[in-house]
Amino acid sequence: MLASSVQRSKPTPYPSKARSALIRRSVVAVLVLVALTLITIAFRSPTSGALHSVQGAGSTALRPFQIAATRVAQPFRDAYDYVDGLANARAENKRLKAINQELRKDAILKNEARTKYPQLLKLVHFVQALPAYPQDYRALYTEVDSFPSGPFTHSVEIARGSSTGVRMDSPVVSGDGLVGIVSNVYPDSAVVTLIDDRDSFVSARDLRTGVRGGIVPGSGGTLQLSDVPKQKVVHKGDIIVTDGTHSARYPDLYPFGIPIGRVSTFGAQDTATSLQVQVQPYANFGSLDSVAVLVPKNPGR
Amino acid sequence: MTFGDGVKAAALLFVAAIAQVSIFSQLHVLGAVPDVLLVSLVAFSLLRGSVGGAVGGFFAGLLVDTASLGTLGLTSLVLTLAGYWIGRYGETTGRDRAHAPFLSVAVVTVLYQLGLLVVHFVLAESAPAGAVVRSLIPAIVLNLILTAPLYALVRRLLRPVQREELSAEVQLLG
Repeated sequence: MLASSVQRSKPTPYPSKARSALIRRSVVAVLVLVALTLITIAFRSPTSGALHSVQGAGSTALRPFQIAATRVAQPFRDAYDYVDGLANARAENKRLKAINQELRKDAILKNEARTKYPQLLKLVHFVQALPAYPQDYRALYTEVDSFPSGPFTHSVEIARGSSTGVRMDSPVVSGDGLVGIVSNVYPDSAVVTLIDDRDSFVSARDLRTGVRGGIVPGSGGTLQLSDVPKQKVVHKGDIIVTDGTHSARYPDLYPFGIPIGRVSTFGAQDTATSLQVQVQPYANFGSLDSVAVLVPKNPGR
Repeated sequence: MTFGDGVKAAALLFVAAIAQVSIFSQLHVLGAVPDVLLVSLVAFSLLRGSVGGAVGGFFAGLLVDTASLGTLGLTSLVLTLAGYWIGRYGETTGRDRAHAPFLSVAVVTVLYQLGLLVVHFVLAESAPAGAVVRSLIPAIVLNLILTAPLYALVRRLLRPVQREELSAEVQLLG
């Protein structure tokens, strides 16, 4: 009995799998190779070339569907925001009162400083040769089409491109503050690298104390004002703005005075040579609906 | 896979990709984002096998990279491998198992995130390993919540392959 062979039904191959294992593996290998080729081409020429143009055209073709999806989801977002707003109204009220108090103090300080401002500006900045914010800039308002998904991406796609005047390295702001800079331009869309991106660096200053540093990504969605010497003074709640250009030979990408955020905490370790200043950004990078691209009114200046 | 199935699958993945880029990518919960595209791809791959999964993953990744103006081919690469692997699981061990979609989604969520991390790291782009690891558990939970309804939807859309057609295992008795 044991020696006799068992009759087995002939296995029927899996339907789409009637192909041999060789073909199956070949298909995957080809797809992986194509993906790697695309990555290589995109990586070698991220801002120009045929693939860049094709991607731009594809993005333009997909935009109506993205807009439709956003519109479908909008009532749900509005309902969520409404409920969320009601739930947080009390805490929000308390927070706004505190901010109001701080703004009153700021207003008093600003009135004092206003008289000295023109002379200080002449001393500190060489902005006469460069466009000043906001009066010398034109704001190109646009919707945000796609958002950073997960921890890898720190950029958003906007619905304006080179055909409407968006240029590389144009600063981008929201109603709250600085958002980032245009890092890739297509005819009808553009990519904005957010200031919480690992490679982002923004020259910034504390508006109250004048302390300068560089805004770099911090931990937990915050920013950090780096390179602040230990002996300098900052206060909790200080407003941090872009520092602008100091040398006409090396113009900064951001004009002076765009609000970035407020100092949330600061401190220094005994062995460190610089202060650790955490900045809570004004802009909420996770829920940007619309932004404005700042383009100089007179590019020749 | 029939032509009709292909059209339905393409439509399904297209809608999922657009919804992912335009809607779901805004829903940040404890650092994680629910991935409706990945769950749809897993459901599709389980029902239609490795070749379908790989092609679907490539197509879906290309859509995501185009719509979000990301590095072209990057998402395609990871989703192709994810679709292929889940497809193989569906063709062999996972078929007819009720827990297969949930197990696949949980495992693929982890592998997909780690795969993206590796590719971003190799390309010298931002690859925050700490943030990725911290967001893994919330991401798994969010994707598991989506699994049951999406799997049911995909199963309804794409008729499951007949049992006798699936039988590739040896029957020793009866």
